[in-house]
Amino acid sequence: MLWYKVWLETRTRFLISLVGSTALCASRVSDLNRSAPSWTQSSYRYLTLHSGQQLLVLPWLVAITFLMMGGLLQEKANGSALFTLALPVSRARLMNVRICAGLMQSALLVVVPWAAMYTAAYNWAPAHFARQVLFYVVVLASGGAVFVGSALLISSLVEGTYLAPMISAGIALACGNAPNSLAFVNPLAFMDGRSYLGPGNMLAGPMPWGHAAAYMSVAALLIVASVKAIERRDF
Amino acid sequence: MLFRLTNSAGQPRYLQLMQQIRHAIESGALSDGDQLPSIRTLAEELVVSPGTIMKAYSELEHEGFITMHHGTGAFVCVSRRARRLGDRVQAARERVDELIGELRDDGLIDAEIRRLFEAGLLSAVRTAGKP
Amino acid sequence: MSGPTVIETMGLSKLYGRSYAVRDLNLTVRPDRITAFLGLNGAGKSTTIRMLLGMIRPSEGSGTVLGRRIDDPLESVALRKDVAYVSEDKRLYNYMTVEQMIRFTNGFFPGWHDDIANALLRRFELPAGRKVRHLSKGMRTKLALLLAIARRPALLILDEPSEGLDPHGVEQLLEALVAHCAEGTSVFFSSHQIEEVERISDQVCVIHQGRLVMDASLDELRESWRRVDVVLPGGAQVEDFQMQGVERVRTRGQQMSVVASGNVDSIVARASESGATAIDVTPVGLREIFLQTIEEN
Repeated sequence: MLWYKVWLETRTRFLISLVGSTALCASRVSDLNRSAPSWTQSSYRYLTLHSGQQLLVLPWLVAITFLMMGGLLQEKANGSALFTLALPVSRARLMNVRICAGLMQSALLVVVPWAAMYTAAYNWAPAHFARQVLFYVVVLASGGAVFVGSALLISSLVEGTYLAPMISAGIALACGNAPNSLAFVNPLAFMDGRSYLGPGNMLAGPMPWGHAAAYMSVAALLIVASVKAIERRDF
Repeated sequence: MLFRLTNSAGQPRYLQLMQQIRHAIESGALSDGDQLPSIRTLAEELVVSPGTIMKAYSELEHEGFITMHHGTGAFVCVSRRARRLGDRVQAARERVDELIGELRDDGLIDAEIRRLFEAGLLSAVRTAGKP
Repeated sequence: MSGPTVIETMGLSKLYGRSYAVRDLNLTVRPDRITAFLGLNGAGKSTTIRMLLGMIRPSEGSGTVLGRRIDDPLESVALRKDVAYVSEDKRLYNYMTVEQMIRFTNGFFPGWHDDIANALLRRFELPAGRKVRHLSKGMRTKLALLLAIARRPALLILDEPSEGLDPHGVEQLLEALVAHCAEGTSVFFSSHQIEEVERISDQVCVIHQGRLVMDASLDELRESWRRVDVVLPGGAQVEDFQMQGVERVRTRGQQMSVVASGNVDSIVARASESGATAIDVTPVGLREIFLQTIEEN
């Protein structure tokens, strides 16, 4: 029943984000494809998919900021936290359901728009473009996981319905404006693939699994910390 | 069977209820063999705790006015001892009514009469040497 | 019928900064009765209840509910299977309808009784399809009560249950509480409403500044507390009446008023020894007993 509750709480935000970002990105990719001059086809296509990612990152961040709103601390603000806490479930379980639902929704918000973009590019995309798409999915999901984790942790520490997402948005903004020298540790730089795209670079290099794993570990730590924060809190 | 409990302090509710049930038995509103309402029903109707009803029924059983059958309920079953008790109470009531009438004729109001009885009972208890 | 106690606390305390919200509380609540928890605002009633349910961690001391420890996370989850709680705010999920709330809550309790839920739904006249955010406070209270009662808990804990209810609603609430107590649910409720406490409680616990200052059966209180009004022609001497059982003595000229929690016959005897020309003994209501107990602590 906890899944049912989380679904009821987030379905509107989720569906709007999903449909919105999918439509936006897929239409942009197919647009660019149509307007590309034939002699630039192959490198242009890299750029097309790249701009698809660029277009996805921001809405994705906005979407998960809104999706991660809620949770026990925000329930405290509107008063229903005591009802939830009186149920015969542990706080860890309450958090875990919310975390899993949040991660699944975030993942879907990566995979579905990219599936749509791949489909939009399919008629001109050679086989190895699939690897391209996989690359973008991996970096977006692993870099994005850090933002999901940080949003969860903030919502477990900060009371007030709107303060938590505002802080999350602030962090994303700070990452967006960070100097390039910090790009190696900046999840946002990782997510939009800019550090892997340079002049003459055709993204034929190895998949950044190591870097991705590092970001996923950071995300995992943030998530564990958020569970602990809720477990220790007095309501 | 209609009972009513007032919120007046001074007398525990189970005693009030006992008096009303005894009165109902004596006046014939409840006869031998009649079933009393279940604890839940009466508690809900009078809006008192079931514990109160339970205490009243137990005491009445102890005094011999009713019997409680586990599972079926409480029934009026006035034992001989209770009947004698009832008669004595009846006689006592008549005397009290007479006295109250006289006191009222003397011009005392009911509240004063009540207080006199209370004080009298308390000092009577002390002089009789009971705790 | 549960063990000897449904709630028991030993030295339970909660410290916020440098002041105690609850201090060294030794509360004992027995099963199959209705126990009221009285106290002024901020006396520690809500904090105590939240500690019992695992929402707040005690600073010191311990407690058990239905025999399970309140400070152990696993046992706390276990005890919540048999304990139902209605908070002061009675806030539920605004985005769910009445029906969805019932379906949601139902899922956590195997002992849920659909027949009780439906009966209460009809009796409380709750609109099944309406969202919680569109319910009045009174209806939300009734819904919260329905969700608590329909699972037939061994213990029902309520924090200011009648707040926000109109007189008809209060009547329905009290009837539901006594009915379910008769069916085997123990009831523990905190309240400001002395009249309601007087109507349905078996036991009264008073908390003041975080400490338990009274734990007595209501019947005992009714039987033992008395006011003795005395007229002493020689002038009233307060010192003569400082005896066991005396809670408060007031004098004005020849008149003296003694509120006592016991030993009334000795007080009356002392009064007549002192040459009293009038002695009146009257009962004392719960409101005055409560205020008097608070005052002297």
